[in-house]
Amino acid sequence: MPIGDTRPSVRPAGRTDPAAADTVRRRVGRGAPGRPRGERLAPYLLVAPAVLIIVVLRLYPLVLGVNFSFTGDGVRNGTVVGLDNYRELLADPLFRTALGNVGWLVLLLPVAVAIPGLLATFIYLRVPGHRVYRSVYFFPAVLSPVIVGAIFNLLLAFDGPLNTLLGSVGVPPTDWLGDPDIAKFVVVGVHVWATFGMSLVVFLAGFATLDGALLDAARVDGAALPQVIRHVIIPGLSRTIQFVFVTTMIGMLTSMFGLLYVMTSGGPEGSTYLPEYYIWIQQGQMNRPALASAASTVLFVIMLVVGLLQIHLLRRAGKES
Amino acid sequence: MSHLRGRWLIALPMSLLALATIYPLLFTANVAMKTRRDYILDRFALTDALRWDNIVTAWTSVGMGRYFVNSLVVVTFSVLLLLLFGSMAGFALSQLRFRGSSALFLGCLAGLFVPFQVIMVPLARIMADTALIDTYPGLILVYVAQFLPFTVFLMTSYYRTIPAEIIDAARIDGNSIYGVYRRIMIPLGTPALLSVGILNALFCWNDVLMSLVMMPSAEHRTLMVGVTSLRGQYSDDIPTFASGVLIAAIPVLVVYLFLQRQIADGVAAGSTKG
Repeated sequence: MPIGDTRPSVRPAGRTDPAAADTVRRRVGRGAPGRPRGERLAPYLLVAPAVLIIVVLRLYPLVLGVNFSFTGDGVRNGTVVGLDNYRELLADPLFRTALGNVGWLVLLLPVAVAIPGLLATFIYLRVPGHRVYRSVYFFPAVLSPVIVGAIFNLLLAFDGPLNTLLGSVGVPPTDWLGDPDIAKFVVVGVHVWATFGMSLVVFLAGFATLDGALLDAARVDGAALPQVIRHVIIPGLSRTIQFVFVTTMIGMLTSMFGLLYVMTSGGPEGSTYLPEYYIWIQQGQMNRPALASAASTVLFVIMLVVGLLQIHLLRRAGKES
Repeated sequence: MSHLRGRWLIALPMSLLALATIYPLLFTANVAMKTRRDYILDRFALTDALRWDNIVTAWTSVGMGRYFVNSLVVVTFSVLLLLLFGSMAGFALSQLRFRGSSALFLGCLAGLFVPFQVIMVPLARIMADTALIDTYPGLILVYVAQFLPFTVFLMTSYYRTIPAEIIDAARIDGNSIYGVYRRIMIPLGTPALLSVGILNALFCWNDVLMSLVMMPSAEHRTLMVGVTSLRGQYSDDIPTFASGVLIAAIPVLVVYLFLQRQIADGVAAGSTKG
């Protein structure tokens, strides 16, 4: 199984350019006498389907959507309305809640990264039963958010098992999904529970590239675990940590729809709205495609900003240590 | 290799977390076996018998069986196309030298940074304009477009590890580029294709938003959208609800039990080659 075993070297960013691998290519085309024309076209024919599909169904719609966000809905369909959609968005309390919730997600992000990071550290250091933990923790990550959401609907229902259990020890029942102040944290909590396994596996892959000698040296010097984490593991895994930060944030912004749709449908009182849910509602339920496009554009900008900002901050943190 | 003085102290909370991770699914499976009356009387008690009638009800009268087949069709074709197009492009971008290859590679990677939510509206419009909305080919295309950037990226980085000499030798033996792809790259790429294929199958199987937008009619509904429709219909019949959820979860559980290693390898490869 070479993929996992070949311990891929982590190359510095920006070296993914295929031209960097010059030594492993043959020249095709110009100056290859005796090759029929079909041979010269071969590479283009090989990449054509992938490139066409990606350009037509991903990159072109992005441009189309941004353009679309400056046009009107309904009677003003197709007319240019400038920033009207964006004004309406910012005035809409539901969209504001959605943005506010993104703020919460950013604040909770370190927790969502630290949990798998810490657990991966223990598994890497071979706590008793580490193989079992690895398999078990990873499992929810391969379940659909819809399935996870449906299961937790069952568990968290007002007359459901969790409240029954708490009731048996004298705790009054909580309306986990019906109380606006609680529901949003419940949903994020379930999302973290369901996805930390992915980050765990990424961390473990990062640990595979860590130099074991450093850890041994630290142990010989008598370093305690917190010191080892701070001085050996965090610097050694800075790239992995960066990657997990960014992918966790992207996951929170783009893969919670299933959970929201099944668990709360954006409620109670719109308290669990996120931009992606808002986009879907405006497009599918409210028939406001242009407004939805504006929300999409805002989401895209948020993702770019958050992604770049995180990389920047983490780079700086990495340099300082 | 022990930095952990209190190894067992750490193992205890980790075991509890492991239990908390498995328990929700076990609970659901247990509820699916109960009668409604049993569930209402005691939510936690182990079922007194293995009853399959709730599952059968969910499969037939609830329609989960049909949704299951819909999902199977869409996922199978999506994965086959993803592997075909992804390995073709990966081979060319990693081993062949041609004008514009870097630009094309970056173009494919750019697709990674465009989530579906951001292009949902224009994409639905494109699909409606081409009469592909609410058809299998339409949803298959949307899935292929969604997961191709990742597939191309992984296949390219995997094929880079194949020594050029192998390809040179095959060329000297008189193989065309296409012959090299068919006879060398596909067989040698098997481990990567398996990993990427399983990951893609999981992604497509688990998706709800894309199929919700692209497959509005109940007749074409995929399994995950079927699960979302359970809540409204069976909120007072929890055992049937749990059975529907179980039907959707079991294939994933089976795949996971047998191919966990490949799934983890795919995730790891995607993260370490950046």
